[in-house]
Amino acid sequence: MRAALFLPLAFLLAACGAAPRVEFADASITLPDDPGDLPEGPGRDSVIENCTACHSPSTMLQQPKISREKWEATVKKMVTLYKAPVDEKAVPQIVDYLLAAQAGEGDVSRETPR
Amino acid sequence: MSDGKFTRRALVAGAGTAALAVPAAGKLAGGMIDLGLPGGPSLRPTTPDFPGKRDMIVQRIRPPLLETPMDAFREGVITPNDRHFVRWNWSMPTEVRAGQHRVAVGGAVRKPVSLTLEEIAAAGEHVSIVAVNQCAGNGRGLSEPRVTGTQWGNGAMSCAKWTGVRLGDVLAKAGLADSAKRVRFAGLDVPLTDGAPQFIKSIPLDVALREDVLVAWAMNDEALPILHGFPLRIVVPGWFSTYWVKMLATIEVLTGEDESHYVAETYRWPTAPVKPGDKDFPTVPIEAMPPRSFITSHADGDTVARGRPLTLEGFAFGGDVGLAKVELVGAGEGGGWTAACQLGPDEHGPYAFRRWSVTLPHVTGDLAEIGSRATNTKGLSQPDALVWNPSGYARNVIERITLRAQ
Repeated sequence: MRAALFLPLAFLLAACGAAPRVEFADASITLPDDPGDLPEGPGRDSVIENCTACHSPSTMLQQPKISREKWEATVKKMVTLYKAPVDEKAVPQIVDYLLAAQAGEGDVSRETPR
Repeated sequence: MSDGKFTRRALVAGAGTAALAVPAAGKLAGGMIDLGLPGGPSLRPTTPDFPGKRDMIVQRIRPPLLETPMDAFREGVITPNDRHFVRWNWSMPTEVRAGQHRVAVGGAVRKPVSLTLEEIAAAGEHVSIVAVNQCAGNGRGLSEPRVTGTQWGNGAMSCAKWTGVRLGDVLAKAGLADSAKRVRFAGLDVPLTDGAPQFIKSIPLDVALREDVLVAWAMNDEALPILHGFPLRIVVPGWFSTYWVKMLATIEVLTGEDESHYVAETYRWPTAPVKPGDKDFPTVPIEAMPPRSFITSHADGDTVARGRPLTLEGFAFGGDVGLAKVELVGAGEGGGWTAACQLGPDEHGPYAFRRWSVTLPHVTGDLAEIGSRATNTKGLSQPDALVWNPSGYARNVIERITLRAQ
């Protein structure tokens, strides 16, 4: 859905002496749904419960392969810096899931039409 | 304020409806593109499903991160609005009522004011400037060794004509206090969680008062689309877009350094070269852009005719100053050989994309690892080797391709 986003271009054509005028119209958009695609695997529910409310799964799945320590530090950063209400008991499952997803064969780009 | 903020329970409930319950119905239309990211994952969906957009590369749906496909840069120097890259740190409102929007100007000012859009538009002379808008992390996904963060190819950049009033004229509505040192901006995009840092950014006062630093409402002669910051965004020509705060709602004049997260703790890079694993090195904010250039007429692996002339084309920009020259360079450090490229007309000033072309008279064999090298009017040239940094900021290494002669 596209709202009326175009403002009159009067300001570009303003004659000498006339005060340039810009008219601002309300604007709204509808963003596409997020399919939230996450490959099956142990810990998937923990990722859905703790991570994907704030951001799409691609944030995680498109990262280059990184170590367990780096994933643990990343989850910790989400909690301490970005105040993500992550269940502490779920962190090992989240990290296991992300490591397994990255270890999968080939290219993991999950938000794809199939 | 906790309305609209996420508690753990609400987050889980939201996840339940957003992710668990959505079957295939939510799929995006479109195809796939390979960004050539070393070691992968390198495939990304492309989709025309975002409002006001043609095919864009989807780095993230929520909050949106949309990359411009490189084919959008094959012609011209202005990126159409429907191909301009999109980057949000936090979710933004999808509806803005123009009549209710206000910009608060406060902090170290004589008289804090709250301005309507009409008052902003009447604050001074209307100014248009063409400038490259480029994410500080553009090309991060091409870093070797790889680094974490949004895995952009080279399409987190675009060039548009921006129209608005000078930031200095808006600041004058409140009047600067003598103690003013920096100017900080906040938009309507706010964290989903209580206590997380809001995406606020500041620039030094001398930059804020530059003649070409704008509070802009138009992009290529159209109202700013919501995805680009309706109704107003800051434009700092020559500086990375992290400072071009969108959906501008607050201007705060600071009397000292900015200790907020997105200035003091991130969007920073080392003052001297570092290696992977280095820690505790001094950093400075990532600000002015260095020069970059790209070949658009050919892609890596293309074949060209042996024994014939070959014309290569592309575009370049100087960063925070204009372009001095673009050269085609051969493989290896120093290039081995260079060929001067002809620059297209300087249509839009120092901050805009500019086209270039060069004709090699006679292709004798494969052209291995050739690239284009831009030099700006400060004498800064694109380097042969990546200036690696752990956040993958400010990539401007010479981008290389190999052409096969047949």
